[in-house]
Amino acid sequence: MGDAELDTSIIGLNDLVLVTGTSGFIGSRLIQCLLEHGFRNLRCFVRPTSDAVGIENIPGHLREGARIGVVRGNLLSREDCSAAMQDVAVVFHLATGRDGKSYPDAFMNAVVTTRNLLEASLQHSCLRRFVSISSFAVYANTHKSHGRLLDESCPVEKHPALRGDPYCFAKVKQDEIVTEYGNRFGIPHVIVRPGYVLGPGKANITSRVGIDTFGVFLHLGGSNTIPFTYVDNCAEAIALAGLRKGVDGEVFNVVDDDLPSSRRFLRLYKKNVRKFTSIYVPHSVSYMLCHCWERYSTWSEGQLPPTYNCKHWHAYWKKTRYSNEKLKTFVGWTPKVSMAEGLRRYFEACRSGAGDD
Amino acid sequence: MIKVGIVGCGKIADAHASQIQRIKGVEIVGVCDREPLMARQLYDRFPVKRYFSTLTDLLGEGNPDVVHVTTPPESHFDIAKLCLEAGRHVYVEKPFTLYADEAHALVKLASKQRLKLTVGHDDQFSHVARRMRKLVQSGYLGGPPVHMESYFCYQFGQSYARALFGDKQHWVRRLPGRLLHNIISHGIARIAEFLKTDSPEVITYGFVSPLLKGVGEIEIIDELRVIISEEEGTTAYFTFSSQMRPSAHQFSMYGPKNGVFLDQDHETLLKLRGEPFKSYLDKFLPSVVFAQQHVANLAVNARSFLARDFQAKAGMCYLIESFYRSIAEDTPVPIPYREILLTATIMDRIFDQLRTQGPRQAMCIRPPDFGTLRPIKGHDPMKV
Repeated sequence: MGDAELDTSIIGLNDLVLVTGTSGFIGSRLIQCLLEHGFRNLRCFVRPTSDAVGIENIPGHLREGARIGVVRGNLLSREDCSAAMQDVAVVFHLATGRDGKSYPDAFMNAVVTTRNLLEASLQHSCLRRFVSISSFAVYANTHKSHGRLLDESCPVEKHPALRGDPYCFAKVKQDEIVTEYGNRFGIPHVIVRPGYVLGPGKANITSRVGIDTFGVFLHLGGSNTIPFTYVDNCAEAIALAGLRKGVDGEVFNVVDDDLPSSRRFLRLYKKNVRKFTSIYVPHSVSYMLCHCWERYSTWSEGQLPPTYNCKHWHAYWKKTRYSNEKLKTFVGWTPKVSMAEGLRRYFEACRSGAGDD
Repeated sequence: MIKVGIVGCGKIADAHASQIQRIKGVEIVGVCDREPLMARQLYDRFPVKRYFSTLTDLLGEGNPDVVHVTTPPESHFDIAKLCLEAGRHVYVEKPFTLYADEAHALVKLASKQRLKLTVGHDDQFSHVARRMRKLVQSGYLGGPPVHMESYFCYQFGQSYARALFGDKQHWVRRLPGRLLHNIISHGIARIAEFLKTDSPEVITYGFVSPLLKGVGEIEIIDELRVIISEEEGTTAYFTFSSQMRPSAHQFSMYGPKNGVFLDQDHETLLKLRGEPFKSYLDKFLPSVVFAQQHVANLAVNARSFLARDFQAKAGMCYLIESFYRSIAEDTPVPIPYREILLTATIMDRIFDQLRTQGPRQAMCIRPPDFGTLRPIKGHDPMKV
C-alpha cells in the first residue's frame, strides 16, 4: 500500500484486523488481499476442528514479516467472540451457514453470531469498522419492471420468511441487526453484498442459471445477466469497503464488469467443463410454475415445501441489470481479474475437480 | 380454544409450530428461548402471539394450557417438571428424559397433578404406522409377537455433521448416550409398544464406525446392535447404523401365524403370510401377492396426498391433535405412559452397557466380550 492509499485508509498497517470464516471460499482470498495491501497484523477466526485456517496457500513472501494469529472458537459463544474481538480495529465478518435448509440453523449461524460479535465490539472500544458480508439474496426485486437496474437503493425483502429460503431470511435479519447496532450504539459499519461469487473451489452452477432438482437441468436464466463476481475481485472489494475512509453506514453491491448472460455462461460451461442436457424454460413459464407451486404449497398446508414461489422468481429469475458504480466511485474498486479470465480459471478448476472425482 | 406455548426455538420447534397451526381450535400464545433472537425469529415466521426469553414469563404472561418442550434433551426434565408444577399439560420432544428415573418422576407428577403428558414419538403415528397398528390389533399376527426387528438408521447431513464434529462442546456430546440418545428412541419405542414386561433383558453391542474413526472421532458411537427379550418369549433386535445403505427406518413383526413389515421411508406396509402356498406355487404366487400389496400401498399414499394429508410431519400433526383431544375430552393419552417408561428403561440399559464397554474398535473383527454383558436369563450366550 502506497502513502496515498494509506491516507485513505481508516487504520494503519499494524492495526489488528479480524477475519471470520477464513477457511471459507472468500476468506482465504481476503487474507491474501489484506497482506498484499501491506496489513501485517491479522487474526483469523476458525472453528475449533477446522482443518484449514485459510492461509495455507498464501505465498511465503506475503506472509513474511506479518503476524497472522489464529483464534479457534465458536461464534455462538460470547466468550469466544469477546476474546477474538480484543484490540481489533476492523472486523470482516464472513462466517455464515450456507448449506442449511432450516430457518433456525441459518438464523443462528448468521444473526446470533453477528450479534455476539457486535456485542463484543462494545466491550472493546477500539473498533473502527464492522464489515458485514451480506448477499444479493436480500433484494426483493419485485416492484420494478423487467430488465430494470438493481443497485444499492433497491428495497430488500420486507417479508423474507415468505421467500422460502432460510439463507435469504437469515441475511436480511443479519443486515437488520448490523444496522440496528450501528444506529443504537454508533458502531461504524459497512454492509457488502456480493453477487454470485465464482472461482476455483466452487464447482456448482448457480441457481440463477438453472436447477437440476428434478433430474434434468432446467435452464431458467435465459437471456438474464448473471451477477457474477470473481472471488479475487470480491475479496478486493470487501477489503476496500472495510478500509476506505468516509463510507461508514454504506451498503455496497459487488458484481464484476462484462457480466455474461445465463445462456452464454451455460454454453461456455458445457463447452469447457462437461456436456449435459438442459431444457430451456421461458420466463413466462417459469413464473407460472412458481406461482402454481406457491399456491399448491399453501393450499396443501406444506405438503410441498414453499421453495419455489413468486418472490423467489423475482429475486433469481427476473431479467435484471446490475451496477457496480457505487463501489467504483466510493472505494475506488476495479475488478483486477477480467470476467473472461475469471470464467477461464473457474472452468479450468471445474474440469480438474471433475477429473479428481 | 387450546392455548399452546413452545419452549426452545431451534429446528424441531419449526416442525411443531408448522403442525400446530394446522390444527383447528388451537393458538400459539407464546414461544420462548433463552436466546431472545431465536424466540423472535420463530415469532416472526408463525402466527404466534408473543415471544419470551424466560419460561416463567411464558407460563405467567403467555398462560398456555399446553407447553411443548423442544429444547435440547438435557433440559427436558427440569422444564417439563416446572410446567407440570405450574399446572400445564406437557408435550416433550424425544428423547423424553436423560434417564428412566426422571421419566418415572414426570409421569408420577403428571398423574398427581391430573395433567397429561406425552413424548414426541411421532413416527408411531405416521399413516403407515397407524395402518400397521390397526392390522396387528385385528389379530393378524395370530397371537403375541414372537420376534420383532427395528431398524432406525441415520445418514449424517453436512450441516449436522459439521456442527457435531466441529464442536467438542456440542450438546449431543453431553447426553449419556451421545448421538444415539438423540436419535434411537423412535426405533426403540416401536419395539416397546408391543412388549409386555416392564423390565426386559437387553444386550448391547456398539462401536465407532470406520468412517468416524477416519475423521478422528472416537467418542461418538454410531453403530449399535441390541437384543431385547422378555420372559414371556418375545424377542427383538434393534439396529442403528450411520453407515449402512439404504439408511433404513423399518420394522418387522412376526407372530405365531403371520408377520408384517413396515417401511417408514416409503410409507409401505406389507403383510407377510405365514402359511406357504401349495407346492411350487410358493415360488410364484408370493411375488404376485407382494406386487398387489405394493400397488395397494401406492393407492393409499396417493389418496392421502390428494387429501392434503401427506406432509412430511403428518405423524406429528396426528399425535399433537390426539394429545390435545385427550386433554379436551379427558380421555387416555395417545402414547401410554407404560410405553414411554419402557422406552426410557431400555435406553438406560443400552447406554449403561455402552459405558461399561467403552467405544469398541470397528476395525477389530472379533466377537463381543460377553463377560461384560448381562446374558439373557437361562441362556448361555456363547451357545449359538
